[in-house]
Amino acid sequence: MTWWSVVRFAHVMGAALWVGGQVAVSLVVLPLVRRLLDGERRARVMGAVGRRFGLLTAAVFLPVQLGSGVALAWRGGVTWASLAEPGYGRILAAKLALFCAVMAAAGLHGWAAGAGRAALARVMAVAALVGSVGVVLLATALPGT
Amino acid sequence: MTSVGVRIEKGPPPAAPVPRRASWHLRANAVVVGWLGLTVAAALAGEVLPAPRWLLIHVFLLGAVSTAVLIWSEHFTVALLRARTPEPRWSLARLALLNAATPAVLYGVAVGPWPVAAAGAGVVVVVVLWHAAVLVRLVRRALPGRFGHVIGWYVCAAGALAVGGTLGGLLAAQVGHGGVHERLHAAHAEVNLFGWVGLTVLGTLFTLWPTVLRTRMSERTRRASAVGLRLAVPGLALAVAGLLAGWRWAAAAGPAMYAAGALAAAVPLAEAVRQRRPHTGAAWMLGAAIVWFEVALAVNLVIAATRPADEVGHALEPLLPAVLVGFVVQVLVGSLLHLLPAVLGGGPARFKENAALLERGWVARVAALNAGVVLLTLPVPAPVVLLGWALVLAPVAAFVVLAVVALLRSRALAVPQAGAEPAGGGPGRTAVSPALAGVVAGCLLTAAAVVVATTGGPGPATAVTATGARTVEVTLAGMSVRPSVIEAPVGTVLTLRVTNTDAQRHDLRLATGERTPLLAVGQSATLELAPLGAAVDGWCTVAGHRAAGMTMRIVPTGALARSGTGTADGTTGAGSGTGHGTGHAGHSTGGGPQAADGTVGGGGDTGAPARLDLAAPFSPGWTPYDAAVKPAPGGTEHRVEIRVQETEREVAPGVRQRVWTFGGTVPGPVLRGTVGDVFTVTFVNGGTMGHGVDFHAGANAPDGVMRTIQPGERLTYRFRADHAGAWLYHCSTMPMTQHMANGMYGAVVVDPPDLPEADREFLLVQGELYLGEPGGDGQVAKIRAGRPDGWMFNGTAAGYDHAPLRAEAGERVRIWAVAAGPSSGTALHVVGAPFDTVYKEGAYLLRAGDPGGAQVLDLAPAQGGFAELVFPEPGTYPVVDHTMRQAEGGAHGLFEVGAP
Repeated sequence: MTWWSVVRFAHVMGAALWVGGQVAVSLVVLPLVRRLLDGERRARVMGAVGRRFGLLTAAVFLPVQLGSGVALAWRGGVTWASLAEPGYGRILAAKLALFCAVMAAAGLHGWAAGAGRAALARVMAVAALVGSVGVVLLATALPGT
Repeated sequence: MTSVGVRIEKGPPPAAPVPRRASWHLRANAVVVGWLGLTVAAALAGEVLPAPRWLLIHVFLLGAVSTAVLIWSEHFTVALLRARTPEPRWSLARLALLNAATPAVLYGVAVGPWPVAAAGAGVVVVVVLWHAAVLVRLVRRALPGRFGHVIGWYVCAAGALAVGGTLGGLLAAQVGHGGVHERLHAAHAEVNLFGWVGLTVLGTLFTLWPTVLRTRMSERTRRASAVGLRLAVPGLALAVAGLLAGWRWAAAAGPAMYAAGALAAAVPLAEAVRQRRPHTGAAWMLGAAIVWFEVALAVNLVIAATRPADEVGHALEPLLPAVLVGFVVQVLVGSLLHLLPAVLGGGPARFKENAALLERGWVARVAALNAGVVLLTLPVPAPVVLLGWALVLAPVAAFVVLAVVALLRSRALAVPQAGAEPAGGGPGRTAVSPALAGVVAGCLLTAAAVVVATTGGPGPATAVTATGARTVEVTLAGMSVRPSVIEAPVGTVLTLRVTNTDAQRHDLRLATGERTPLLAVGQSATLELAPLGAAVDGWCTVAGHRAAGMTMRIVPTGALARSGTGTADGTTGAGSGTGHGTGHAGHSTGGGPQAADGTVGGGGDTGAPARLDLAAPFSPGWTPYDAAVKPAPGGTEHRVEIRVQETEREVAPGVRQRVWTFGGTVPGPVLRGTVGDVFTVTFVNGGTMGHGVDFHAGANAPDGVMRTIQPGERLTYRFRADHAGAWLYHCSTMPMTQHMANGMYGAVVVDPPDLPEADREFLLVQGELYLGEPGGDGQVAKIRAGRPDGWMFNGTAAGYDHAPLRAEAGERVRIWAVAAGPSSGTALHVVGAPFDTVYKEGAYLLRAGDPGGAQVLDLAPAQGGFAELVFPEPGTYPVVDHTMRQAEGGAHGLFEVGAP
């Protein structure tokens, strides 16, 4: 147990909570909201859930993931050049790119939900969820971690 | 709607409501279109796939075509018999089973364990028999009608796939090797193509062809169908039996009968064409397909009649594009062009719209496809073949895209307002639910990321500079690749000489993309690899062979040692590891070849020097290198040809070792002359890697004459021997340690002026012995460390102990000596007889008559000279390198001195 264990813990925990939160909202909260509530209130609840989750993402998860991720990469001796090398570097680069795409999708979801484009919002939400599962997949594929 | 494809002359099928079966077919045809898309992808992926050819063929035939046949033959049976639709649940179950079995077969054969493939083939057989039983029951229950005869074709076709699938399962299970395998393969292809596909198509065309042409069905159809089926099916059975049993007459008569049946069946088709010219894309495609089918039948007939059964499969291979693309693809696409609009339904307007959509640009598509087939069939150069593929794939891909669009459009109509939130996106525009779209988008993103993560681009880190070259003989035989592991230092440019010694065809494909063509028995091919970086896997791409164990691995030096696996197979060819343990003990018990292997294994792998048993006997038939040197021939010009040969020699008692030689011997031929003589050496590289030569006796700029020449090349090396001495010549190709340690050295003797005559003259070239595969990991490690397994006079450790040099007491004996190294010199000494003359590196250190004497002729690596002595009395006088470690390691021989 070193401080690095704590950093790694924060990184893994953040990812688990963020992906798990998306899964919970998509598979548990939203279907129930759709079934149990009617028009007006449904929109309000879904909007509130979305805003809360977005706020948590931007305020907690994103800083934690970025901070701990950069620290871990620095400790692992990752350089810009090494990101292009096949193996660890390449997988990490792909994971980061996918993470950026997921964040873009999540952001787009937030914008679309606010702009009343429900279909697009839904597409982006599911894409972000599936993509973040992909991020976890790539994380597990990183050799030696 | 029941008459889809039969009575289309009445016009498009009725509008809504779309019957249940139509939607069933809609979905099912999506599967076909999906497999077609995969086929295009497989063709584009090409070499990336583990068994590209086989996969391409089977994704198409087993995936797309078999699914289509299963769907449509049942549909047509129902339509033609006006029977009640069989329970859709079971139809779907059959379809699902087939589509589950197909990936199992594809996976099992291409990569997985063969039982997966065999089980998949079993399921396919069960499905198709079930399908046949359903068709038979439909016929039994139906009222007699005009079209019942068609069902016979379908049932027979299903029977053919049952046979073909069984044969395929046997092939996947690797039952039968060599000729049996080839015959199984030919029968499998024949029965599936001409049976399952051919019979189905012929049967369908009776009704489909007039429908597509929008003409009346010929009166003769029924009779033609009966005659055709009665000829084609026994013909096919005969052909398959003939191929399996190797009866040539049957293998020839069968296709002839089948062709006769097909011709009989074609009579009403021709009649229909006479009535009405083809005018749609579907019609032209089907027509072209029939033509290609006839062409294939004719060629098949000729080949089956002129070749023995186990060569038929191989000979038919060039025909594959014509059959697969010209016939099967065109039939499939042509039929779908015609049938899809009907199946999609949605009213006359929608029907017309869909038909127009699917047939868009059909003239160009049909022309391109058929031109592509011609190019693929003809023996044209590779770029033209690529063009052929492009011409073939583009129309198929275009069809897939158009069909997907049509399918999606009809789905969107069938399920309007599918999106739960019709708010912003606009209804009807996206028929797919947002959730599904999101899943697809996420999966695509993830897949792209995974692809980026797992593919190694040629970044600067992967560039490996070449450090050396090596050729390895690779043998394909008995479902294995030998050697199964090749070890080489990082940066080695490997050349694999691949030979198929098996009785069936194989190839070798490396993960880095290099591949041999399919090699027939006894054929060879050479693969040039990029400088070795990471480990590379290799395998045979013939279906199932990889699963059966035809794999190999090329590993950078050290990788194996780290992983702790043995490298018994690292030795060339023979190194099956039989003598791994005998390396240390084996020789004293009897020598012989297996002990020799043991030493190669033991010494070559571990990097630790082996202990030679120099007292063991040499193999019978071994002859020593003749140490006696002839006097210089007359004349001042000497012409000699030296040819590099890579061969195997007995380098120590009972120990055989692969060596690289000048002229087949170690050392190479002795060149002798006098000062001022000109030597013209024609140097020929008969080896498998680059070699060069460097004559120390000459004075030349190294750039030209000492350059490395490639196998098969030659150069002329002319030098004048201006200086007397015993000179070394050696291979000048890097890494020289390896080339010299593996035997590439020899001597040039230039007599000093007024050299007195001696009674006997001998030449001893001393060199080090490194056991193991030449250039292999273990050997190179020993060479680098300067830890030889032994020392040799004239290429054999202790050779002259077993075949002593002879002289007589009182004779003047001159011993020329050259130290070839590569790392150690010599301190040449004759026990019991001091030297009275020593000539070293161009100067006399001692002359006969001088008061002094010498005990040793000392030579650093690459130095040479001679010593003279007179044996005082009869006896056995050892000649040794007085570096005792080296003497005991083999630099040891005997003079048997007799009485005068």
